[in-house]
Amino acid sequence: MKHVRLLALSVVCLAVAGCASSEKRVTPQPTAARPKGDPVAEGQHAIETGPPKDRVLWEYRTALASMRRGQFAEARTMLDSAITRIANVMGSDKDAKKARGYFSAEAKKTFIGEPYERVMAYYYRGILYWMDGEPDNARACFRSAMVEDSDTQNKTYAADYALLEYLDSLATAKLGDDGSEALARAQARAKTGPLPSLKPKDNVLIFIDLGTGPTKYAAGEYKQNLMFRTGNSPAGSAVVKVEGQQIAAAACDDLYFQATTRGGRVMDHILANKAGFKRTTDTVGNAAIVGGAVMAQRRETQTAALGAVAFGLLSKIASASTTPEADIRSWDNLPLFISFASLELAPGQHTLSIDFLDSAKQSMSGLTKTVTVNVVPGKDKVIYLSDKSTTPLNL
Amino acid sequence: MKKPTALCLTLAAASALLSGCASYGVRNPSGVGVTEMRADERGFVAGTGIESQDIVTVADRMAREILATPEIANAKGVPRIVLLPVKNETRFPINKDIFLEKIMALLNEKSSGKVRFLARDRIADLEREREMKQSGLVTSNTDPHVNQFKGADFMLTGKLMGTTTRTSQGTSDYVLYSFTLIDPNTSDIVCQKSHEIKKQGLEDAAYR
Repeated sequence: MKHVRLLALSVVCLAVAGCASSEKRVTPQPTAARPKGDPVAEGQHAIETGPPKDRVLWEYRTALASMRRGQFAEARTMLDSAITRIANVMGSDKDAKKARGYFSAEAKKTFIGEPYERVMAYYYRGILYWMDGEPDNARACFRSAMVEDSDTQNKTYAADYALLEYLDSLATAKLGDDGSEALARAQARAKTGPLPSLKPKDNVLIFIDLGTGPTKYAAGEYKQNLMFRTGNSPAGSAVVKVEGQQIAAAACDDLYFQATTRGGRVMDHILANKAGFKRTTDTVGNAAIVGGAVMAQRRETQTAALGAVAFGLLSKIASASTTPEADIRSWDNLPLFISFASLELAPGQHTLSIDFLDSAKQSMSGLTKTVTVNVVPGKDKVIYLSDKSTTPLNL
Repeated sequence: MKKPTALCLTLAAASALLSGCASYGVRNPSGVGVTEMRADERGFVAGTGIESQDIVTVADRMAREILATPEIANAKGVPRIVLLPVKNETRFPINKDIFLEKIMALLNEKSSGKVRFLARDRIADLEREREMKQSGLVTSNTDPHVNQFKGADFMLTGKLMGTTTRTSQGTSDYVLYSFTLIDPNTSDIVCQKSHEIKKQGLEDAAYR
């Protein structure tokens, strides 16, 4: 009778442990920002009321949404806040430490973004500095962006943004120094097509974003592998038209390429360890419970059987509690391509038209943007826009 | 086997299981805090940024060194200095005004009137004030038609340069702060001083 009771207990434990380990664990992830209403207002609300660990993510998204509306002061504030956080992650961080633990998801850490996302934060902040007449601080941002991309697994892809090196050389030339080294690096890194000619006398600088950039997803037995979905850009290039001039703006860098050539993360190794632990404790737990049930048949091993079942149960609970899921929070309103063009215009008011071209170099209807600018002597006029920007813009 | 012993062994095994570290095999999983190095000291990681205490340290040192310059210390009368904008060649965006404002404040504080600074950044406002006085729109204690704007005896400018290394071992930044005092009449460099800071740190493994 005692044997039957022990056997029944073992079966119940196995069943319960099986239920505990059934893999329908859903690690709460912040929902991807698909704004239903006003993306800037929603983003600001998320910054103010959301969990601190997601603050930088919302600052990134909302800053870019603001830039697309021409709200550059708001974007500046948010990017400064985000960059302050990402530039100060050295040393001990308790949330990051928890995220490395077996029983906390990676998404528990403060989001700072993968290298391509951090690069873009500095890139946009650099544009805003240049807009404010500070090309040296703009160059500093482009250089910090390059540093964010410098620790790749395969050094071929380290700091390989062509546009960032090009902008470094342009800013250096405008500051009266020799930017030829940076220009040479830029030309060596050009992958999507030739870069614009360097013309330091050009006083109208146009930064153009094309398409929708990469997003993240998790794959693997326990969703422990961070993967990237390619973005999409019907427009492959743009052309700027003003007062009889037409200046081509080809794609200079591809963010999906940058996201996928960074190589493995240290966190990937940690998540693999977590997945291994989860698998092993699940297997051990099953074996211990079944073994305990078998040992319960004999009087002399019933005590050990109880221990085995208890151990197995604990092992199954540990397995169920282990969270190897990769963090898939994404700066999901980034572009796929970044582009640049420049020209020289006399002081005064000018209206520019920017057409977005498909792969056949045909203008895509419905995407043309109109920008009115007032060019002043002695200061570059910086224009930022995207195929998603509002139009018309008055800068 | 006695029940209490079996239970203890079970709990011990469970503890060992639960206390395992997913970060096994990762060096310095918690990262390494930022440490300040001597510029000539061999570092192990790559960079950290220019912070406010750096500006204070540099400005304090530069103020003392400029005041000790013989052309300033032995000047007849009170030398006038114009502060030119600082050139930033590092990867860190900075508020350039803060550098010069801090130096100006420290020089004023430490010089006890031995140097004066010319507010050339306010020249447009000053010219407007002078025009109002000349037109009689506002009163003036002196003759507003006499040019009383002082010329500079020296010009003070600065440059920030830096190098960065970033590897899997961390990030290290070296920043050289240099300031130059120039005689505008002769273009002589009267005083050129520098201060260097090197910092390194490593972020938590969760961010690498």
